[in-house]
Amino acid sequence: MHRVCDIMVCAMARMIKDGEKVFHGVSSHMPMIATLLAKAMHAPNAVHLNIPGGVNPKEPELVSFTSAGSELYDTASASFPLMEVFDLSMRGGLDVAFLSGVQFDNIGTVNASVIGDYHAPKVRLPGGAGSAVLIPTAKRAIIWRTKHDKRTFVQNVDFMTARGNVSAIVTPLCVFAMYHGELILKSVHSTSSIDEVAQNTGFPIKYLEMETTPPPTDEELRLLEKIDPQDLRNIEFR
Amino acid sequence: MNKLLSLQSAIAAIPDEAIIGLGGNTLNRAPMTAVFEIARQKKRSLALVKTAGAMDVDVLCLAGCVKSVDAGFISYESEYSLAQHYRKSVQKGLVRANEHACYTVISALRAASYGIPFMPVRGLIASDLIDANSYFKRITDPFSGDPVTLVSAIRPDYAILHVHKADAEGNALILGPKYEDVLFSRAAKRVILTTEEIVDTAYFRDSGVKADIPAFFVSGVVHVPHGAAPCACHGVYDLKHESIKKFLSIKDASELSAYLSEEVRHA
Repeated sequence: MHRVCDIMVCAMARMIKDGEKVFHGVSSHMPMIATLLAKAMHAPNAVHLNIPGGVNPKEPELVSFTSAGSELYDTASASFPLMEVFDLSMRGGLDVAFLSGVQFDNIGTVNASVIGDYHAPKVRLPGGAGSAVLIPTAKRAIIWRTKHDKRTFVQNVDFMTARGNVSAIVTPLCVFAMYHGELILKSVHSTSSIDEVAQNTGFPIKYLEMETTPPPTDEELRLLEKIDPQDLRNIEFR
Repeated sequence: MNKLLSLQSAIAAIPDEAIIGLGGNTLNRAPMTAVFEIARQKKRSLALVKTAGAMDVDVLCLAGCVKSVDAGFISYESEYSLAQHYRKSVQKGLVRANEHACYTVISALRAASYGIPFMPVRGLIASDLIDANSYFKRITDPFSGDPVTLVSAIRPDYAILHVHKADAEGNALILGPKYEDVLFSRAAKRVILTTEEIVDTAYFRDSGVKADIPAFFVSGVVHVPHGAAPCACHGVYDLKHESIKKFLSIKDASELSAYLSEEVRHA
């Protein structure tokens, strides 16, 4: 039985194509590790962009408390800080942005702002970080979320932090993909089932063909161990 | 001009209700000793500005110093989870959360640094943030006729930045990631620096290494080794996990003063 964190990170890594410019931000250990994995596997020419501005950090020594620190800068080949990554996305040059959120609807609207009213929230969430400008401008926004329940996947989000080019949502149970403006079930992890996905999703699930998310290969697992010896890809499940 | 100050007097100059830009990013090179001193001096109704803040904003919310926070993201990262004092302060209506996309903070600071009243933001087109906040406005681009969103300029009264090296006049160098610190120095009316090390001006004059922040922006320089601690400071020290955990266990403002008296060292 594979671990869910490994299935998710490998699923995200495989969405990165060779040569693409890929950005992740803060609180993003899973996509950071997925980006490093993609570069070590099938996408050596993918460009790893991040908040501290270290372009293509080489074998960074990852740390637990940040995915936006010096470790991504020290072994980089060039400096290209956050504000320039945003500029790049605004002019159409960013291929992939990894983002998260707390609520999602079936057309890929993301809420990372509040539960309840924006001006008098029941729960003030951290905020969408770059989502509101990156989701509409990056060619593909890939969302990951380590919770999959009816409070996360809802009929209507409480607040629209962003809407736009969401291409996939990777969860602990499955992968949703955008199909003609609607999220459909692309694959279910071997650790879950279509019934479990349906029971934990607040909108009706649709699919064309049901697949099992391809499990991590031995080669991917070996590289993950090398890239992430502290098992930070599991940090959101601890 | 020698601008070396004690931490106490540098922070004492900041009035209540000031707009304060904070350097660093999440738990990386945040100006924590200065933040602790602001809390200790019980400043009130500050408007904080940052792209992504964490413990700095959390401490100031717990200390009751904050009126509003303009930011894209306020939380610790994965390991230490939510900024609970910020969150509770907003939920109680004590602090106003002015949510931005991180880029709209950058755009608002760029507008201030360019001396213009607002900045068009290309990507902000499908978000409830636009109508929910008075600092965003949708207009018609007078050239193309297309809709475009603007963000109002943010000109902080003070930028508070922690740097690696500064001379007594305020020429300052940041090693490693600079985040938005250099932009803050241009956008703000005044800059207060805390620095790991004081160097002679010859350090810049006699080498190819030039300061990121020229002294003419800077109103005060405070020598504070470990001035970002318990946050990390590039190349100098790592995160002080025990101190972070101790702060996260604090429940109210009275426990905060005990924590601050342990943590604050007077420069």
